[in-house]
Amino acid sequence: MAVPARRRAADVVAFSFASLATVFGLFWLAWILWTTLAQGAAALTPALFTQMTPPPGASGGLLNAFYGSAVMILLAIVIGTPIGIAAGTYLAEHGRYTRLAATVSFINDILLSAPSIVIGLFVYEVAVRSMGHFSGYAGALALAMILLPIVVRTTEESLRLVPDQMREAGFALGLPRWRVTSRILYRAAQGAIVTGVLLAVARIAGETAPLLFTALNNQFWSSSLNRPLANVPVVIFQYAMSPYDEWHMLAWAGAFVLTAFVLILNLGVRFLARKGGNK
Amino acid sequence: MNETAPAIRIEAAAQDAVAREVKIDIRDLNFYYGKAHALKHVSFGVPSNAVTSIIGPSGCGKSTLLRTINRIYELYPEQRATGEVIIDGANVLERGYALSDLRRLVGMVFQKPTPFASSIRSNVGFALNYYDRLSKAELNDRIEDALKQAALWDEVKDKLSASALSLSGGQQQRLCIARAIAVRPEVLLLDEATSALDPISTAKIEELIHELRERFTIVVVTHNMQQAARVSQRTAFFHLGELVEFGNTSDVFTNPREQRTRDYITGRYG
Repeated sequence: MAVPARRRAADVVAFSFASLATVFGLFWLAWILWTTLAQGAAALTPALFTQMTPPPGASGGLLNAFYGSAVMILLAIVIGTPIGIAAGTYLAEHGRYTRLAATVSFINDILLSAPSIVIGLFVYEVAVRSMGHFSGYAGALALAMILLPIVVRTTEESLRLVPDQMREAGFALGLPRWRVTSRILYRAAQGAIVTGVLLAVARIAGETAPLLFTALNNQFWSSSLNRPLANVPVVIFQYAMSPYDEWHMLAWAGAFVLTAFVLILNLGVRFLARKGGNK
Repeated sequence: MNETAPAIRIEAAAQDAVAREVKIDIRDLNFYYGKAHALKHVSFGVPSNAVTSIIGPSGCGKSTLLRTINRIYELYPEQRATGEVIIDGANVLERGYALSDLRRLVGMVFQKPTPFASSIRSNVGFALNYYDRLSKAELNDRIEDALKQAALWDEVKDKLSASALSLSGGQQQRLCIARAIAVRPEVLLLDEATSALDPISTAKIEELIHELRERFTIVVVTHNMQQAARVSQRTAFFHLGELVEFGNTSDVFTNPREQRTRDYITGRYG
């Protein structure tokens, strides 16, 4: 049967709009990636990974910033992941039908969308002011607070996706809840939980605002978490705002490495998800 | 078709009218999903070392009854039961009756196979380590024994480390039976355990049920009346939450006392 002309016209219009919107979105993404790649690749030198951030006019690298970011991200994972998984487990399993869990879940959603600068200010008030100085610990704490709600949410969601039959099968064997959770449910949900953690890491890797008030930055090599700590996002921010060409180059290089890191993490997540889906 | 002649062929297994000891004594059992009254004043005795099948149209409370016997319903806060389910002299519905004791005594197999995402070996041994401190050799013996009882050993003995998810649906269901009997329960509850399987797998499981009844008290919920007639010695017919009729399978199918039973088994509804 012939499709009426009006319907066909509507289809063409809708299809064109959808395609245009997609191209529009992809265009900016491609441009951003291309600029970072072109500018950053030119600045990529071995010195980037072996030398410290230089004073104006000198050449150098970003070693201290990479180190600081890596340490703070690691510490944030160490703090945030166990708490996040435990809280997500509470929400999905132990507290499942309780009002408390529903409330916590709601508050977690608010935390999830809280502007990161607010979290930075909070940690500044709580940790930096009470310690009397900026520090890597404060930076890691701020990053952990951004990572935490993401891990809580993804853990809760992935446990909820495990069919109730699996729980019943475990409980029907007479096993206590902790054993059903740890041996059956975590195993069934582990791919999704790891994916959530990786996505959270990708998210905090580029966070600048919470570090401005907490880890600040450090021009020199410092491995102490108790002192201001260099980190990639803040270095990019400061160097990009500066009037010096060498610093601009380093900012591009930092942006490039950061983008590549997040990209690789996302690819890893894809890979994990596909592996999980094939089971 | 003749009014009284049932469409169901009664197999030898059902021609068993021997008096048996009662293993599970259900007394005035009521069950509620929130406000919905799903089981109404149900009383009957499930005989020991025999297969009892629970039949009835959808929503009649068959599965609910099964889920009450091992208290798996307690996972859900809106569900509750009143009355008594007495196994070996003790009311298992009482709060003081430990769930781990009850579930060790009463194993359950579900409609859809529920293999855990781990190896065949660890699936069967899953609960063993929790209940008993076993040496590696003892553990392997118990696993082998359970797989043999579930008629799965010959098919999996060379690949015990393979993922349980790699087995076929019928094998997965027999694995679940092996997992349930590995902890040596006395009662086995099968909740439509063959309804998701093909006819050949179904036949294997029915054969298995036939063998297992020597050692276990088996309660089978089924939609399939032919299956009830094939595997069970006693049949309970439920309708709208009430126990309409309970008796020897051959009697229920050839000469039901109640009109509702007669209508159901002759296909008037269901």
